[in-house]
Amino acid sequence: MGGLQTIINVSNGLQIDRRKVVGVQVSRNEEPRITQTPTLNPWKFTVEVPVVFKYSDARALLESLDYSDRIYPEIITFSDNHKLNWMFAYQGQMNQSQINGITVQSFVGNQLTLTNLPSIASTKVLFKPNDLIQIGAAGVNPYPFTSVGTVLRGTGTTVVVTTNRPNIITASVVGNGIIVGNACQFNMFCTNMPTYKLTVGGYKKIGNIVYNNALIQFSDSFKLYEMVSLA
Amino acid sequence: MTSVIPEVVNVPRINTAEFVSLTVFNEYGNIANANTYTFSSAYKSEVIDGLTYLPMGGLLGIGNQPHDLRVTSADTSISLSGIGANNISLVLTHKVRGSELKILRGFYDDNYILGNVYPRFTGIVTGYVIKEDRQNQDDTYTVAITASSYKTVLENRTAGRFTNPSSWRFFNPNDPSMDEVPSISGRAFDFGKDPQGYNGPAGMIANPPRRDRGGGPGK
Repeated sequence: MGGLQTIINVSNGLQIDRRKVVGVQVSRNEEPRITQTPTLNPWKFTVEVPVVFKYSDARALLESLDYSDRIYPEIITFSDNHKLNWMFAYQGQMNQSQINGITVQSFVGNQLTLTNLPSIASTKVLFKPNDLIQIGAAGVNPYPFTSVGTVLRGTGTTVVVTTNRPNIITASVVGNGIIVGNACQFNMFCTNMPTYKLTVGGYKKIGNIVYNNALIQFSDSFKLYEMVSLA
Repeated sequence: MTSVIPEVVNVPRINTAEFVSLTVFNEYGNIANANTYTFSSAYKSEVIDGLTYLPMGGLLGIGNQPHDLRVTSADTSISLSGIGANNISLVLTHKVRGSELKILRGFYDDNYILGNVYPRFTGIVTGYVIKEDRQNQDDTYTVAITASSYKTVLENRTAGRFTNPSSWRFFNPNDPSMDEVPSISGRAFDFGKDPQGYNGPAGMIANPPRRDRGGGPGK
């Protein structure tokens, strides 16, 4: 398990920033005008970490964070343990094998067209707002999109999902499968990589001997930024 | 001349990206020997007039482009990230000064599909600056290109022709009007005064009659 995934798993606060690059001006008669730049719109997380790690148990974690620094990305997911997998949980009505059968017919702009749909009732919900969709197999394109609205199965051979951001994947995605919900992955790196302080505590007792130890206190929350330049 | 841009007329919301084309001329007098670099602030590659504009992550910003009712001598600047060093290499290893810079503005619809594209700035690169900003463990490079509009270029242009044979024959190779200029160059010559003691080349009248005085030999 990578260092950032461990940090995610123990976090006690997560701030999600998906804001677009937008300028807003209000005219003299208070009429708003908005201009947007069509960016890659990366995911940005701010992860708060409590003081939970004992130095003696966290040596590997510290080394992993020190090595990654603000340089290397890491693929993280919210399905890693039962404490987190309620986040980004899939809200639709397909089962896993039905999801596995779906492929991408096209993905132009923010219009994702899916085909090879399951034979289920037309009123069944394929995606609800905020459902995560990842294109391709695990680890291939760890740049999830969200469904903006509710998508019903309908009667056609395809459905069109309006995604939160345009297709930022440079390789062709036609024919790829999809991953949904908390199984989706994020390719994140830490832009500030907090330093850490060892404070007295966490004494370790082995047999009748008490060993000195320390608790790990990070200098700041972890600001994670999606490595979209690799998409 | 006015140009109506429907994407911005009576709409509360626009989605726009800027596309930059930098044509670097490698050889003086040979415009065919040039490299064109294209990049944009868009999220993906876009093809405009046969040129593919890359969604270069290095494009940090485009400076102000003043617009005026009159033609103005506006300058603009483009900031590029030096991270990756490609952009530092671009300005250091190429003759980037004097390159032609074009900035286009493209408008996207709500589905992030590029629609119309309009020219925004055309000019000549007049300089560049490479800055390194290192604070503690944070190190950033920025390459800034400054460009002048064509109006400034035209203002600085030397117009007309010189009164020497080469300049004169540049426009008409058979025009000998200035061929004798080098021979009198640097000599004191009082225009309007009667020539004194000078016998010109064969065929010239040494002391031609002055018509304003009714003819007759000169003194």
